[in-house]
Amino acid sequence: MSPRSSRRRTLRIIYAIFLLTLLWAPAAAPQAIPYERPVEAAPQDEDIGEGYVTPEVQRPLPRSYWLEILDVILLALAMAIAVWIVLSERSRKWVLALTIACLAYFGFYREGCVCPIGSIQNVAVALTDAEYSIPIVVIAMFFLPLLVAIFFGRAFCGGVCPLGAIQELVVLKPVRVPRRLDSALGLLKYVYLGLAIWFALQPAPGHDFVICRFDPFVGFFRQTGFAHMLYIGGAFLVLGMFVGRPYCRYLCPYGGLLAWCSRLAGRGVTITPDKELDCGLCSESCPYGAIEEMRAVRKDCLYCARCFDSCPRGRPLQEAPDE
Amino acid sequence: MSGKITRRDAILKGTVLAGFAATGVHLIKKADGQIVWEIDGAKCINSKLGELTAEACDLCTVECVVTQSAVRAVNHHSECGRCYICPAYFKVTSAVDENGLPSEKLCPRDAIERKAIGWVDPEDPANNFYDYIIDEEKCDGCGKCVMECKEPAGLGSIRLEVRHNLCVGCNRCAISTVCPNDALSQLPATAVPEPEPAESESQT
Amino acid sequence: MKQYRQVLAIEGRFEASINGLAAGPRDQLFAAGDASVKVFDDGGKPLREWTAAKPPLSVAVAGDGSVWAGEAGQVEIFDGEGRRADAWQDVERLGRVTAIGFVEDAVLVADASDRCLRRYSRHGEFLNNIGKNNRMKGFLIPNGSLDFSVDSEGIIHAANPGKHRVERYTAEGELLGHIGRFGGQDPAGFSGCCNPTNVAVIGRDFIYVTEKAGPRAKVYDFDGKLLGIIASKAFDARCKNMDITVDSRGRVWVADTARLSILAFEPEGGGTA
Repeated sequence: MSPRSSRRRTLRIIYAIFLLTLLWAPAAAPQAIPYERPVEAAPQDEDIGEGYVTPEVQRPLPRSYWLEILDVILLALAMAIAVWIVLSERSRKWVLALTIACLAYFGFYREGCVCPIGSIQNVAVALTDAEYSIPIVVIAMFFLPLLVAIFFGRAFCGGVCPLGAIQELVVLKPVRVPRRLDSALGLLKYVYLGLAIWFALQPAPGHDFVICRFDPFVGFFRQTGFAHMLYIGGAFLVLGMFVGRPYCRYLCPYGGLLAWCSRLAGRGVTITPDKELDCGLCSESCPYGAIEEMRAVRKDCLYCARCFDSCPRGRPLQEAPDE
Repeated sequence: MSGKITRRDAILKGTVLAGFAATGVHLIKKADGQIVWEIDGAKCINSKLGELTAEACDLCTVECVVTQSAVRAVNHHSECGRCYICPAYFKVTSAVDENGLPSEKLCPRDAIERKAIGWVDPEDPANNFYDYIIDEEKCDGCGKCVMECKEPAGLGSIRLEVRHNLCVGCNRCAISTVCPNDALSQLPATAVPEPEPAESESQT
Repeated sequence: MKQYRQVLAIEGRFEASINGLAAGPRDQLFAAGDASVKVFDDGGKPLREWTAAKPPLSVAVAGDGSVWAGEAGQVEIFDGEGRRADAWQDVERLGRVTAIGFVEDAVLVADASDRCLRRYSRHGEFLNNIGKNNRMKGFLIPNGSLDFSVDSEGIIHAANPGKHRVERYTAEGELLGHIGRFGGQDPAGFSGCCNPTNVAVIGRDFIYVTEKAGPRAKVYDFDGKLLGIIASKAFDARCKNMDITVDSRGRVWVADTARLSILAFEPEGGGTA
C-alpha cells in the first residue's frame, strides 16, 4: 500500500501546484489584425461614375460553430455508450460496433481533428500564455474524457478515440509483453507528455505542437500526408497486429493522464461478478496485459470487453434475464 | 483495487475534481467561441511593404494540408486602382502586343478576370477603369499577383487570405510552422474585422 | 544616348517623407517634406528651413521669389525668407495639392483628390479646370499623386500615369498632345501600372520624368524620343512618386523617397541638358 499512497501524495502535490498557477493568469482579448499600408486615392464609386458599385469582398464563414458543439456532444454520448456497453451490457460485439462508428466519424470524417490528445497542448498554452485564445470546445474535449476516467476508467480509449480504434481493429495475434518491459515502456507516455507540454510552451510563435506533428494515424484519416509519417503510421499498424495498441499503451500522452485518473475510478470493468475461477482465460484474452490476478487493472484497461467474452462465469451473467 | 472506496481515495478524488473544476472555470473565462487561422497582411512576405524579392513566396500553396490550398488571393476592390495595365494581371515584363498591352498574363492558373467598367472607346481603351476579379475556384494562393500588386508597383489591394470555408482548422497549421515571417496566427472568429466599405480616403 | 552621372547627394535631412522639389533663384533647391520646407544651396548645404501649417505635399518658387507650398486642403504662400504671407483654402477645389506651377500671371495647382489641374489668378480667384473635361473626369492617378510642369512657352506638361503618357495642355485646358506609351521591357516606354509619376520641363527642349517599380529617371525630347536614362540603380527599389526638378544649369535633382535623400545628376560632358 505504501508505494500507492506515496504516489497519491505526489498526485495531490502536483494538483495543488496546478491550482496555484491559475491564480494569476489575466484574461486578454486577442487583437484583430489590421493591415497598415499607406492610404492612396484608389478611385471611389463616385470617381468612376456611371452607376458603378464596388464589388464586395467575400468573407466566407468557417464551419458552423454548432457542428463543433455537436462533436463535443457526440464525444460525450459515445463515452456514455461505451460505459454503458462495457459495464452494463458487457458485450464485445457492441463495443466493436461503437469502435467502428467512432473511427468513421471522429477519424475519417472529422479527420481526427480536434482531438483530446492534442488538446493537452492547447490547455498547457492557455494556462501560461495570457494572449492565447482557447476555444471552449477544446476545453470540453480535454476534460470530458478525464472526468469519465475518474469515475469509470478509460472509456475514451475503448471505442471512442479514433487512434485507438484504428489500432483496435488490426489486433491479430497479440503477444504477451513481459511485465517489467511493459511498465518500463509505459513510462514513455509520461516522457512524451512532458515533452509535448514543453514544446507547446515555447514562446509564441514557436509553439510546436509535437503531438499533432507526430500523430501517426492522421495521415490515414486525411488520406494525405508526408511520406515518412505515413510509413510510421503503417509501421504502427503492422506492429499493432502483434503487440496490442502500442501507441495507446506506451506513447499516448493523454493515455498517461487517463491512466492517472482511472486509478481513482470507483467503477470499472469487473470480469466476473462474484468469484474468479482462476482459469486465466481472461488474462489470455486481454491483448493489452491489463489483467492482473484475474482483475482488470483500471489504469491499463482499455475497455475493449474481450475479457467478458472469454470468462465462463461472465457469460452466464450476460444471459441471465434479471440483470 | 476493486470495489471499496477508502476515505483517502474519496478525498483525492474530490481534490482532483476540484482541481479540474477550477482549471476549467479559469480556462472558460478566457475562452472564445471559434478560432480561425488568419494571415497578417503586414507580415506576409508577399504583401509586406518594403520586402521585395524576385520570387513570390508560395509556401501557402505548398504546405497547406488541403489539396488546393485554403489560402487564396483576395482583391479588396475598394483599394484597387483599377488600372488599365495591372501588374498583377499582366506580366509587365513581357513583350507588348499590337494593342499596346503586355502579351502574357501573370497568373499561372489564369484566375484573374479583367473587366472594363462602362463603355470602352475602341480608339482609346486606356481611357477606362478596369475591374480585376479573382476567381477563387482557380486560385491556389501562389502569391505572384500579391507580390506584383504590392507598393510601389501597385496599391497592395490583393492580399493572401485564409478562406475559412476551406480551412480545416488544424491545431498546428502546417503553413504557420514554415512561414518565414510568422504571418499566420489563430484568432477568435469574431475578432477579425469585416471588409471595409469603400470610403473616401483622399483627405490625408 | 546622353549619359548622366551623380554629382551630389543630400542625405539625412528628412525623417519621414520628401514630397516635392523645386529649383529656385540662384539654383537653390527647395524641398518639401516631413512638416517643413527646407532650402539648400547648389552645393547641397542647408540654408534655411521653416515649418508649414500642414505637411507640405509640393513646393514651387514663383518669379518674384515667393515660395508656394501645396498641402492637403490649402496652399500656403511664404516669402523668400520663410515668413508666411498668405494661404488659400478652397474646400471644393483644393484637395491634396501635389504640384504647383506658374503661367504668365496665373497660378496652377494640381488637385490629386479630384484628379485635375486648376488655374487661379494671383489673388486666389479660380479661373478654370484643366484635364477634367474627358470621359474619365480627370487624370488617371492610381499612384495617388498628380504632377506637372510648365515650359518656357506656358504649355503645361502633366503626367497621366494611368495612361502611361505625359500630356500637354494650354492654360485654358485645351489638350494639345502627348508623348509616351506603355513599354514593358522597352526602356523608352513606361512600365508598370502607372508611370511616369513625376515630370519636370525647362525651356522647350527636354522633358524629364521619373518612374516607380523599377525606379528610374529619364529624359525625352518634345517629340517623345528617349534621350537618356538619367539613373535607375541609384534609387532604392521601394521608391514611389519621386519628385524631379531641373535648375537653370541643367542639373537634375531627384528625390529618393525610400532612403529620404535627394540626388543630383549632371550630364556627362557638361552643358545645359
